[in-house]
Amino acid sequence: MGFNKYYEVGKISLSNSFVYIIDFLAKSLFIGLIIFIFINLWKVVYGDSTSLIDGFTINMMVWYLVMTESIVTSQGPLLEEIGDEIRSGNIAQSLNKPYNFIVFKYAAGFGNTFLRFMLTFTIGAIITLIFVGGIEVQLAHLPLLLLTVLLALTINFLMIALLGIFTFWLEDARALHFIYQKFVFVLGGMLLPLELFPQWLGDFSRVLPFSYVAYHPAKLWVMFNWPDFVNVIMNQLFWIMIFIIAIALVYRICIEKISINGG
Amino acid sequence: MTKVIKVTNLTKKFEAKQKEAGLKGSLKSIFKPQYKSLKAVNEVSFNVKKGEMIGFIGPNGAGKSTAIKMMTGILFPSEGKISVLGHNPQIERKKLAFKIGSVFGQKPQLWYHLPAIDTFNLFAKIYELDDQDYKKRLKRLTEMFEVESFLKQPVRKLSLGQRMRCELIASLLHKPKVIFLDEPTIGLDIVVKKKMRELIRKLNKEEGITVILTSHDMEDVESLCKRLIIINHGKIVYDGSTKKIRNDYLTKKRIIVVLNEKVDNLGIKNVKLLYRGAYKHAIEVDTTKYPVREVIKKILSKHKVNDITIHDPPIEEIIEQIFKKEV
Repeated sequence: MGFNKYYEVGKISLSNSFVYIIDFLAKSLFIGLIIFIFINLWKVVYGDSTSLIDGFTINMMVWYLVMTESIVTSQGPLLEEIGDEIRSGNIAQSLNKPYNFIVFKYAAGFGNTFLRFMLTFTIGAIITLIFVGGIEVQLAHLPLLLLTVLLALTINFLMIALLGIFTFWLEDARALHFIYQKFVFVLGGMLLPLELFPQWLGDFSRVLPFSYVAYHPAKLWVMFNWPDFVNVIMNQLFWIMIFIIAIALVYRICIEKISINGG
Repeated sequence: MTKVIKVTNLTKKFEAKQKEAGLKGSLKSIFKPQYKSLKAVNEVSFNVKKGEMIGFIGPNGAGKSTAIKMMTGILFPSEGKISVLGHNPQIERKKLAFKIGSVFGQKPQLWYHLPAIDTFNLFAKIYELDDQDYKKRLKRLTEMFEVESFLKQPVRKLSLGQRMRCELIASLLHKPKVIFLDEPTIGLDIVVKKKMRELIRKLNKEEGITVILTSHDMEDVESLCKRLIIINHGKIVYDGSTKKIRNDYLTKKRIIVVLNEKVDNLGIKNVKLLYRGAYKHAIEVDTTKYPVREVIKKILSKHKVNDITIHDPPIEEIIEQIFKKEV
């Protein structure tokens, strides 16, 4: 009974997003450009292509980046959306419908997020195949990797949604979002694998939720092994639970503080 | 008659941050913020019976919308009690949402880039409607509102009047028992406004739906609602029949005439002159003493008239009069 409406909004929002397909494509191509720049950078760092840096070959390093970039940049402008709804007062329309606001947002955004992930990953993969080459991935592992990616996208959504709820009360959470992004870029291992960090910082970052958005799934993608896989999935599920509880608590507090702007 | 809405001593306070003008004021407000407590709604009480159509009017910022948002459960009251269809809107917001509908004139709910029918289908799922019931309901509403011809056009391509009709349908699909209409006719031209009013009246009559309407437009309220609540500065200043307001306070009409020739004086007796230009004149007529019809007849017989319009005095003046009478 309850699930149907969320499935339906996922569908409708996906069809709505085809209006913005050029926008999607432009963004993905831009990330392709960034990957191309990194490829050249890593080529200089690696010198001859047979060397290893902290266990990574140049191919692994670049494919790692393709994966992290694709995951992290695929989330739509959720925080801006929630902020706009609150500033314009349109939130009144969402709050008097019989659904859970956050689940609704998740359902509405997930189709787009996944579409953007696939698009960026495809473009990144083509560029990498041309300029660097492939890596070894077993076909049987692909569904498992996809699962970690879906969970990573979910954690990313939940963390941003949590910041979004603070908007109910701060009016503008863009500063928080800026800081959050930098955390994912660095501590989450989006730019560099955590192996390249000083030991203590790497160990610290590995247990934070940010690394379960980028580093862990991407590391599995280039160096799959079963114990790590099980470990990552368990931790991802753990963080998802934690954030769902946090959102439920914060939502209950913030909803009472909400003031609706305009007319 | 059963009461569908019970509101007792409803109060909503807002803490508004105060800031002196300029940079100095901004700095001061960071270190020593000062708050001023404003009461947007102040100890408001009223009941609404089933099937009633009630008009809420008041100037901008009077607290109309805040009161409505508390009744639909979006805002939390600071004090007081609300019961809508037997539910506490804040605690049972989701349960209540199945039974009420709302249209906010300035806050669209239709998906902008998609045809209205897509939003309707989505709402059918959101409100967990049975497929067969939904199809019947949709057919009835689309026929009644005459929207079949543009149901499949993206909403962004529709005119405001077409869009508002679709907005109203979206809020009616789940057969709400109470509908809140917040400025539903804002920005619409006279013909479309009239059409909207007809539809609202029809819905009330055929489905017994209770209508809570807010508007700036005195005509909206007069043509639809037998009962009127006037709010000003968060307080109810009038709660009673619309007829009484018409008889007691809406006794004056304003006539604006644009003439074809330059005239110093319209030469009409017993009217109050508001404005005199070369071609344009504005007068106020006390309709209890002199029927508007007579005055217009006289103007038309004496002058070559290019344009003539008749207006009600603005709502602010009515409120002022109510206050004067009370004092």
